[in-house]
Amino acid sequence: MPDPAQVSVSALDATTGHSDHGGPGAGVTASEIPGAGLATLTARKGQRGRLADAVRSAFGCDLPDRPKQVLGRGIAFVWSAPDQWLAHTPAMPAGGMEPYLRERLTTLASIVDQSHGRTLLRIGGPRSRDTLAKGVPIDLHPRAFQPGDAAVTVAAHIPVHLWQIDASPTFVFAVPRSLAQSFWHWLQASAAEYGLDLAEK
Amino acid sequence: MIDRTRSLAFMFDGRRYQGYPGDTLASALLANGVHLVGRSFKYHRPRGILTAGPEEPNALVELREGARREPNTRATVAELYDGLAATSQNRWPSLRFDLMAVSSLIAPVLSAGFYYKTFMWPASFWEKVYEPLIRRAAGLGRASGQSDPDAYEKAFLHCDVLVVGGGAAGLAAALAAGRAGARVVLCEEDFELGGRLLAENRTVGNRTGAGWAAYVAAELAALPEVRILKRTSVLATYDHGTYAALERVSDHLGEPPPYQPRQRLWRIIAKHCVLASGAIERPLVFGDNDRPGVMLASAVRTYLNRYAVAPGRRAVVFATCADGARTVADLARCGVSVEAVVDPRAEVPPPMKAAARAAGARLISGGAVRRALGSLRVRGVEVRTADGAIERIPCDLVCVCGGWNPSLHLASHLGARPVWSERLAAFVPASLPPGMAVAGAANGELGLGDALAAGARAGLAAAADCGRAGQSLDIPDVEPEETGVTPLWRVRASRGKSFVDLPNDVTDDDVALAGHEGFRSVEHLKRYTTLGMATDQGKTSNVNGLALMAEFTAKSIPQAGTTTFRPPYTGIAIGALAGHHRGKDFKPTRLPPSHRWAQQAGAVFVESGLWLRAQWFPRPGETDWLESVNREVGAVRTRVGICDVSTLGKIDLQGPDAAEFLDRLYVNGFKSLPAGRARYGLMLRDDGFVLDDGTVSRLGDGRYILTTTTANAARVLQHMEFCHQWLWPHLDVQFSSVSEQWAQFSVAGPRSRDVLRKVVDHQYDISNAAFPTMAAAELTVLGGLPARLFRISYSGELAYEIAIPAGYGEALWHGIMEAGSAFDIAPYGTEALGVMRIEKGHVAGNEINGQTTARDLGLGRMLSARKDYIGRVMSERPALLAPDRPTLVGLKPIDREACLRAGAHFVGAGAEPTAANDQGYMTSVAFSPTLGHWIGLGLLAAGPRRHGEHIRAWDPVRNGDVAVEVCDPIFYDPAGERLRA
Repeated sequence: MPDPAQVSVSALDATTGHSDHGGPGAGVTASEIPGAGLATLTARKGQRGRLADAVRSAFGCDLPDRPKQVLGRGIAFVWSAPDQWLAHTPAMPAGGMEPYLRERLTTLASIVDQSHGRTLLRIGGPRSRDTLAKGVPIDLHPRAFQPGDAAVTVAAHIPVHLWQIDASPTFVFAVPRSLAQSFWHWLQASAAEYGLDLAEK
Repeated sequence: MIDRTRSLAFMFDGRRYQGYPGDTLASALLANGVHLVGRSFKYHRPRGILTAGPEEPNALVELREGARREPNTRATVAELYDGLAATSQNRWPSLRFDLMAVSSLIAPVLSAGFYYKTFMWPASFWEKVYEPLIRRAAGLGRASGQSDPDAYEKAFLHCDVLVVGGGAAGLAAALAAGRAGARVVLCEEDFELGGRLLAENRTVGNRTGAGWAAYVAAELAALPEVRILKRTSVLATYDHGTYAALERVSDHLGEPPPYQPRQRLWRIIAKHCVLASGAIERPLVFGDNDRPGVMLASAVRTYLNRYAVAPGRRAVVFATCADGARTVADLARCGVSVEAVVDPRAEVPPPMKAAARAAGARLISGGAVRRALGSLRVRGVEVRTADGAIERIPCDLVCVCGGWNPSLHLASHLGARPVWSERLAAFVPASLPPGMAVAGAANGELGLGDALAAGARAGLAAAADCGRAGQSLDIPDVEPEETGVTPLWRVRASRGKSFVDLPNDVTDDDVALAGHEGFRSVEHLKRYTTLGMATDQGKTSNVNGLALMAEFTAKSIPQAGTTTFRPPYTGIAIGALAGHHRGKDFKPTRLPPSHRWAQQAGAVFVESGLWLRAQWFPRPGETDWLESVNREVGAVRTRVGICDVSTLGKIDLQGPDAAEFLDRLYVNGFKSLPAGRARYGLMLRDDGFVLDDGTVSRLGDGRYILTTTTANAARVLQHMEFCHQWLWPHLDVQFSSVSEQWAQFSVAGPRSRDVLRKVVDHQYDISNAAFPTMAAAELTVLGGLPARLFRISYSGELAYEIAIPAGYGEALWHGIMEAGSAFDIAPYGTEALGVMRIEKGHVAGNEINGQTTARDLGLGRMLSARKDYIGRVMSERPALLAPDRPTLVGLKPIDREACLRAGAHFVGAGAEPTAANDQGYMTSVAFSPTLGHWIGLGLLAAGPRRHGEHIRAWDPVRNGDVAVEVCDPIFYDPAGERLRA
């Protein structure tokens, strides 16, 4: 079998390498998070409680019932809709997300692999909030949005799922794959005045 | 506030001048003795500078040159920069000698409503004579006509308290709220904070007004949660505490610095708003009151105190309110000779008397200026004294003040009508949008001390309401002042033209004429005379116009009407409304997984919704799109082709009740669909018309993959969400879109199985027997990559759709191209896809157009009689069952050389092409390389019974009239043998 990581192509590969990243400085940092496992988890009817128990025993965390991200053992769950979460692992589990989760959560939830359907971007830096304000309509000010908070919203008319992972601040954006280049183009144009740094963190 | 250590060079009408940092174009022109800056809209009368702020009606110039030229820029807000170039407008050949000014001589013809009257007689005159003449003579600046070289931006800004205006009240409000710890946004139109504090000779505590503003500004700048936006106009109030504000980021520079936008449009979402937008002084209406050198008294003080510019040497002050005294004092202090103070009040208040005495000026109480003298600049005034005598007083500056109009625009944008205050002789805000408070002059609190106190109170209250309680501000002492006004709406028996609205050349006579001609509503007055409809939207003219209308119709001002306001408060460039979203960024673009390959292969692309899809793939030597498309169709019909169909909507459906859910959603049944099979499905809307079609494949226990058309992907998902959440919440199903997760390619043609055999891992049997038509399976490809294979044909050939996680899409595409090279595989685009679906009579968006039923599309047999489904009852309405409804047919030109056109209407062979004879229309056409002639699909009345009949396809738009034969919509392989091969 070919190494999937070698075969898989990022939706951004074609554009990120050679583009104008704006002025000097690194007001904004951005990097793609490659190779992550993603899956949509929707509780089966009436199984919300048992699913939470199963998640707690398998991963040691509580499924959030508000727009939050919670960290479990080797996995994070981000609320995405009532009784629905985006499960997120730093690397694709052997065999894929669906078998990995189904083994632990059985039929308490419908599980759908989305690992290739979203491009994950880590966006941070001292001017990241100013940059994101150019397209994201929600309030990301620390009084309104904290590490662990998540939102399903839009950025420059592109649907995004985002969550904050630290107070520096750093945000993770899950962008539909087909729209990743448009998102990137907007981010680059919006960050240009602060300087966009693509260095891996 | 003017930095004289450095000078700035600028050009006006090709002449060089010098100004200083801190100047506006207007203050610099005045400092250089330039008073004549423009010509008026209709009469081409010479015009000067009336104001010192955003309300300026006269001093409109074209700023900058080339592609950056901006017409109708107010010189009073254009910040001077080194190298600024401006040009006057609406004059020919020059500003001083304007031939168009002869229109003043025919002025009697150009009265109110003349534009409308030209519509009336004679009709043919309008297009040929009037309009070209009016267009040439009237108007203001010229747009550059070139693409704007600068970037614009839009951004969101959230806060607790938005303070609109950085004058005394606004600064106090921002400081009170800011000190309390609230998130404050302070927007100020000017490039300096302070408002009238910068313009008046006042003290606040032990500081000058400007000093106090600077002191507060410095504290605000140091507060972490306070954001000061200078050069920012709040343009609009919207629902739910949303405001629009335009920040002129780089307008004060020749060109924006690298990576800076020229302007930024803010959408501000504020829990509270303190409107501290100040007030605008009213001019007075008297004869030839438009002469350069007639200036608002408040503007005169601004030029004197803020810009250190004396706008004249000999002044006459014509005042009806307390500001007259202040003006006289400032003029005298700055060495301008005050020739006379004309006060229409019989009893002149003591401060005015004292000021006149101190300035050594003659006080004419109970008098009025009936005419300004001079042409290119005022040379004097004709004054009528209390006893009726007429006197001429030489002067080069006439300072007018008619009282103040609170700038209440933003309080009115949601529809609230302001109320009339007799005390102020002005409108003040009444009911306010939720979350808004008004403070200072905007609320009629004209005195400085009142404004400071009101601002501080409003800021503190707003912060407290956001959970940030704070301390009351210590308001420094300010000198008490008079603020009374005795309004004078016009000087009767004036000589010359008395202008009410300067930019549109509307006079008191025009308002009177409108009254005589029966216009009673202020809205009609406005439209008939164009009063208040110029670029300044009547900031200095609306209330005067309303007062005159009240007088002419013998009503009180509140009876005559009120003025309300719509956004925007000042003009905004279209570029700022677009922001990032211009050109190719107008909307986001969705790229399918094969995009990079297609780009390298030289594909021609087509926008299909947000998607960018390969339309065809020209090969060297092909010169015509049809040639390429014909070749691609031929490749699929004879060998094999590959097409990216990832744009189709894909929905993953799971749960114990999935089959039941599908049965209710689609017209046909799905409970019988076994695992490993796919089925074509049709959905109706509630009203019985077709919503969408697609396939449903059952992969394993309880898991289904639905496809939708590209265009309806989101709509179908939304429909399913609605059905699940509202109609059948008890069904245990879960679904989510997997359109982005899976790349999906159609591999079609007689050799498609041979190609896929090399791609699909060997342990999977895809022979015709093991994997027949409508089979579906999960398998692996290219040595272990997960994939899904469906034997689904859209082209009518042996065909498959193969899906793979999108990141592997390119690898699979390459793998298929490589495997197909032995069979000369051809990539094909949406055009060939469309040709082949028309050859097969498949319906698509042109036919599923929201007006067709399943029966109309020849799909009536799919409607299950054994179950209920969405749209069933409504689809059985009698009119939808009528046998003569337009129904799907195929069409061939009788002359096989003839070209068919979509949109052509059908009429009987011998019938007149009239609406009464209309029998339907052509929905889709294509040149069929397989048949060698054009073919079409259409909706024809009673179509299926008319196969073989000859009718006309009549296209009045493109002059087409083609005789066509009605036939079965399936042109190619009607028995479907090829796809089962």
